[in-house]
Amino acid sequence: MPESIDSMTLAHFLMTGAILFVLGVVGFISRRNLIIMFLCTEMMFQGIVVSLVAFSRFHSNDTGQTFVIFVLTIAAAEAALALGLIVLLFRRQRTLDATAWSQLSG
Amino acid sequence: MQIALAIYFTSALGAIAVWLLMPSAIMNLRKLGGLVGLATLGGLWLFLALGPTWQHLGIGQGPFVYYYLFSSLAIIAAVRVICNEKPIYSALWFVMVVLATAGLFLLLSAEFMAFAMVIIYGGAILVTYMFVIMLASHAGYAENPSELPMYDRFSREPFWASLAGFLLLATLLGVIFIEDRTPNPDAVGISNQQIILGDPATGTGPILGRRPATNLAHAIGASATTLPPAAKPESVTNAERIGIDLFLSHPLGLELAGVILLVSLVGAVVIAKTRVPNEDTQTESAASASEHVRSDPAGAEN
Repeated sequence: MPESIDSMTLAHFLMTGAILFVLGVVGFISRRNLIIMFLCTEMMFQGIVVSLVAFSRFHSNDTGQTFVIFVLTIAAAEAALALGLIVLLFRRQRTLDATAWSQLSG
Repeated sequence: MQIALAIYFTSALGAIAVWLLMPSAIMNLRKLGGLVGLATLGGLWLFLALGPTWQHLGIGQGPFVYYYLFSSLAIIAAVRVICNEKPIYSALWFVMVVLATAGLFLLLSAEFMAFAMVIIYGGAILVTYMFVIMLASHAGYAENPSELPMYDRFSREPFWASLAGFLLLATLLGVIFIEDRTPNPDAVGISNQQIILGDPATGTGPILGRRPATNLAHAIGASATTLPPAAKPESVTNAERIGIDLFLSHPLGLELAGVILLVSLVGAVVIAKTRVPNEDTQTESAASASEHVRSDPAGAEN
C-alpha cells in the first residue's frame, strides 16, 4: 500500500466527490427526463466512489476500494432495472416526462 | 475563517451558475451562466492552489497539477450532464465524468478501480443508457432545438433545486475543510510484508505464497533458473491487494452481490416481457399525431 496522503490532500479529493454528488442531486431534482434523472443517480454514485477511494488511501486500508466494487454492482443492477422500467413506461405513454406519472392509479 | 468564507462564497456563485445553465422557459442566460461557473471554478482553484495547497504541499508537486486538471474536467462534464437538453449528449458527457474520475483514481494509486470504472461504467452501463435513449425517444428532432419535447426543454424548479443542492455542498465543504483529520492507526490494512512473507508474530503463513521453486520447475518442465523471480513485498499490485481484501474480509458481501445481480437479471427479463395493453394502437396514433404536428418539408409536400 502506498504511503498515506495528508489531511489537506484528502480534503481536496473529498471536495471533488462532494461537488459531483451535489450536481447529481441538483440534476435529479430539477430535470424532467427520466433517463437524465437516472444518469444523475449514477453521478451521485461517482461522487461517493471518489470519497471512498480517497478515504481508502488516507487510512491505508483497502476496504474502501473493495466497497467500490459493491457500489458498482448496485449501480449495474439499478441501471438494468431502472432502464427496463423506463422503457416499459415509455411504451405505455410514449413520453419520458417524470411529471406525466405524478398521478399514479392502480 | 478565510477558507470558510471562500467556501460559502463559491457555493453561492456555483448555485447561481447552475441555475442559469439549466434549460429554462423564462430566460436564456446560459452563456452568462457558463461564464459565472467557469469563473467560480477558476477562482476556487486559484484560492486553493495559492492558499491551503501551497502551504501544505507546494504547487510544484506534479500530482497536484493533475488533481486540478482531472477535477475541473469532472466538474465541467458533470455540469454539462445535468444541463444538456439532449439526453444523448448528457450520456456522452457522463462518459467524460467517468474518465476524469478514473484519472483521479490513478492519482490515488487505485489502478484497479480506475480501469474497472472505465470498463464497467464507460463500457457497459453507458452502452445500456445509449440503447434506452435510442429506444425511448421520438425520431427526427435531432437538428432543431425547438422540436425537442417539452420535458427536455424546460427543467422543473431549477432555482430551488440549485439552492438546496449548493446549501448541502456548503455544509459538506465546511466539514471537509475545517475539520483536521488524522489516519486511524487501527484501520491500517494488511501490509505487503504480511502478504508475501507471512506474519511471524501471529504465526500465519504468507497469503500470496508460492510453491517451492523446484516443485514449480518440475510442474512446468523448466529448469529452476528460468523461473521468474519470487514475488517481493514491494511488487504486490493494487489488484492483488483488493482481491485479498475482497475474499478474506468480505466473502459474504461478495455472495450477496452475486445474488443481487442474479435477482436484477431475472427482474429485468420479467420487466422486458411485460405486455402493455393497446400498445400497437397507441403507437399508430402517436406516430400519426407526431407526423401531424411536425412541420418538416417532407410532410409539407404531402
